[in-house]
Amino acid sequence: MADIILTGISVATGIAIGKAYFVNRNHQAHLPRHTIAASLVPGEVDRLHEAFATVEAELASIRKQVPDELKSHGLLIDTHRTMLKDPKLSGAAEEYVRTLGLNAAWALEKAVSDQEAAFGAIKDPYIRERMQDVRVVADKVQVKLIGLDNDLSAISSRAIIMAHDLTPADTVELQVDKIMGFATVRGGKTSHTGIMARSLGIPALVGVDKLEDHIHDGDLVIIDGLAGKIVVNPTETELEDYNERAANFEIYTRKIKRHCQLPAETFDGSRVQVLANIELVEEVATVIDNGGEGIGLYRTEYAYLNRIELPTEEELADKYIDLAAIMSPRKVVFRSLDLGADKFIASYGELNETNPAMGLRAIRFCLKNPQLFKTQLRAILRASAYGNVSLMFPMISGVKEVRQAKAWLAQAKAELRREGVQYDPDMPVGIMIELPAAVMIAEYLAQEVDFFSIGTNDLIQYSIGVDRTNHHVSYLYQPLHPATLRSIKLVVDAAHQAGIEVSLCGEVASDPFCVPILLGMGIDSISMTPQAIPGIKRIIRQTNMHDCRKLLKDVLGCRTVSRINNLVMDNIFKHFPEEVDFFSSLLENDESPT
Amino acid sequence: MTEENGTMDLESEGCLSRQVVVANEHGLHARPAGKVAQQAQCFKSSISLVHQDQEVDAKSILDILTLAAGPGNIVEIRATGSDAEAAVESLERLFASRFEEG
Repeated sequence: MADIILTGISVATGIAIGKAYFVNRNHQAHLPRHTIAASLVPGEVDRLHEAFATVEAELASIRKQVPDELKSHGLLIDTHRTMLKDPKLSGAAEEYVRTLGLNAAWALEKAVSDQEAAFGAIKDPYIRERMQDVRVVADKVQVKLIGLDNDLSAISSRAIIMAHDLTPADTVELQVDKIMGFATVRGGKTSHTGIMARSLGIPALVGVDKLEDHIHDGDLVIIDGLAGKIVVNPTETELEDYNERAANFEIYTRKIKRHCQLPAETFDGSRVQVLANIELVEEVATVIDNGGEGIGLYRTEYAYLNRIELPTEEELADKYIDLAAIMSPRKVVFRSLDLGADKFIASYGELNETNPAMGLRAIRFCLKNPQLFKTQLRAILRASAYGNVSLMFPMISGVKEVRQAKAWLAQAKAELRREGVQYDPDMPVGIMIELPAAVMIAEYLAQEVDFFSIGTNDLIQYSIGVDRTNHHVSYLYQPLHPATLRSIKLVVDAAHQAGIEVSLCGEVASDPFCVPILLGMGIDSISMTPQAIPGIKRIIRQTNMHDCRKLLKDVLGCRTVSRINNLVMDNIFKHFPEEVDFFSSLLENDESPT
Repeated sequence: MTEENGTMDLESEGCLSRQVVVANEHGLHARPAGKVAQQAQCFKSSISLVHQDQEVDAKSILDILTLAAGPGNIVEIRATGSDAEAAVESLERLFASRFEEG
């Protein structure tokens, strides 16, 4: 057996085998704390200031490499540089070296504690949060002082990067050609690590608990982005298995990619649109390379994160127009802002919601903040003049919300018309079906909009009542739960009854086990991470609707998830033996915890 | 420090002071605070910012952040030294330009 197998959330698929290389280790646990002789104090003070200067110089050179489109990253680095030059931090640390005879790293830690006390007393939550920046800066200096320095730009051979967290600044610094994979303790599905890994086509796991405790620099690790696992110091046999698996996956990936530009059409001639979920305009190349027929979900949140001011209409319109124009005539579905109030501390104050998942977020937040909402709607409308643009509202719970959102859209249109600005007056407007309430009234909602998009990730969480990042209950998160399948079926039927299209975005869309069931329901399009498109298109092209309908009928008759899992497994074994090998791990969490 | 002492300080030789308004949308947050600190560091004079009885070093971004001066708040710039006048004027301009934010 391997030393240990850790699990995490896979944000980029694939398999990588290599040596672990730690960056941004949490070094606090090993911070040296000792006093030094009076004669050594001047030398220690010099060491302290040299460390500050070195970090500042490093940041200055990174700053030069930050591309213009990452302006907010650049400004963040500027703030960090100003903090490094701040006499309050280095000066206070120097005082502690001189008066108490502390070693430099410890003295700096005391200076940081003083700042923490000063910041902790401040009411403004945004300013309290800046303490994190002080921490980041102090960490960098301490790492230099301790000599734990792992220079991101000095990775000598190909490595798997392990980190507590990766910041935008780190990602600029990393030598991407030497990196085979990532694993971090922090970060979620939409973290920067995932975006970068997907663009590099290498596997990445985030949310790996105890990463730093169980893995050491130089350990041989296997990152399995298919199963969300890290195998630490594998045995010979495990290594052989994984080598073979990685090679097979590579061959399989190349094979399916050769045919990825073919239409997603079943044997018996049914067409399904296969679209991509993206977060950055830069991902468009990957979408087209992988045979994406359009963007089924453009997550617009990224432009609002990691910054103080809200983006302006111009800034958004620039991006949106680029995206619409590049993809044209392919379709781009914009999802209006899907963030909670917690992400806007700077501008909107703290709400202290005890349950943000059910709080003021997504469409609710936008309707409460019409200025912010309208700025985005205007930018999207402006982009609609340049391509095939659709708009959808997230987290809709009732008819009134749809009407309110559409009223703001109408107002934005009226403004643009008065100003003589071009937009597509017939831009399709849809909603995301993510709440059980929306499922139950799908037939009414269908009367209000041009299309539905089922967001299964949230729908599963809300209908089963399970937070899948909560380790105690995540086993209950089941895409193939009979309730999930019935919900999707109900929504698809309601849409078709009303004569509107229905799409599905969420991991279910890229799950080879689920796709045949979705086809059986008659879904019009599915949208997924770009990397999954070739595989899913292949499955669609090798199936026929008759089998899919039969499978659907069978699974709808099942009362338990395990029965359903068995049926879809049988189906995959029968029709797609190759896929079983790579994706069977997706079905592993169907039993209660032991 | 008593009220009297404070006034004495202000009246001592070379100390200039001026009141400015924090006119940008989000107050003295990281970026404006950074700009103030950077600009203050260009002068030899000792410069401070005063807000609600709290006086801090204008050359320190951390100090300025702890003022937590919000939009619309009035802040006093104080400078003592050979280039105090230039310092006060340059910082006043920075506040007036709303920290050069787009």
